[in-house]
Amino acid sequence: MTQLEISVHTEHHRLVLDVIGPINSYTFTDFQEKIYKAIAQSDTAVVMEHVTALSSAGIGVLMTAIEDAEASGHGFAIVNPSEIARLAMESTGFGDRFPIVQSLKQI
Amino acid sequence: MESRPPRRREEEATIRLAAVPESVSAFESFADGLAFLSPRERARLKLAGDEILDNIIRHSSPLERRRIAVRAARRGGRPHLLFFFRSSPGTAFADFAQGFPGSAPLFDPARRRWRGMGLLMCRNLSQALSVRHGSMMDRIILAFIGED
Repeated sequence: MTQLEISVHTEHHRLVLDVIGPINSYTFTDFQEKIYKAIAQSDTAVVMEHVTALSSAGIGVLMTAIEDAEASGHGFAIVNPSEIARLAMESTGFGDRFPIVQSLKQI
Repeated sequence: MESRPPRRREEEATIRLAAVPESVSAFESFADGLAFLSPRERARLKLAGDEILDNIIRHSSPLERRRIAVRAARRGGRPHLLFFFRSSPGTAFADFAQGFPGSAPLFDPARRRWRGMGLLMCRNLSQALSVRHGSMMDRIILAFIGED
């Protein structure tokens, strides 16, 4: 998988981004654009079950998304991240800052 | 003189990459195919390797000979990832090398995201990381915890 695929749908008044593929230094801009746009509009959940890589650029976008959500009063959650995505978040040394849930039902 | 047992070739793989952005995807496919590593070992190597390769492409180009050799190997039970390349004189490689083991993250308002976490991630994903700037070759070597 070399392409990043992001689909967006609404579920229970929340925007849900399904992300498939690598979020690396050359694919993260699409992720950045879609996640910031979603958070500006409503509560947002990002399903990362099928993320195959997560670089520091993608981590930087997630951190900003968390702060933007807090500033706008919208909820934000990372749903069921893949093992490599979880490892990437833990490798920052502040993995507990990322709002991870196992399923959309937990939000 | 004590002889060393021959290295098991099946526990070593090398890929040669051009110093272009598309090589990040090629490296990820290479890492995914390293059958002599466990899934978690591959994940660590892939995440750290992505960061190193991106930094080489951004900070050391144009590379002399225009190639980056990347070798993954299990040595002494531990996975290793080695980058061999030759940075051109006057590139930002020296500054890049001085950035190890990693500076503090900061928010970049122009790019609207946090930056500076790549080398921090590499430090936390690996057990040891070294950068050697040589007259013939530059080397970046990462050693990871072994799970076998």
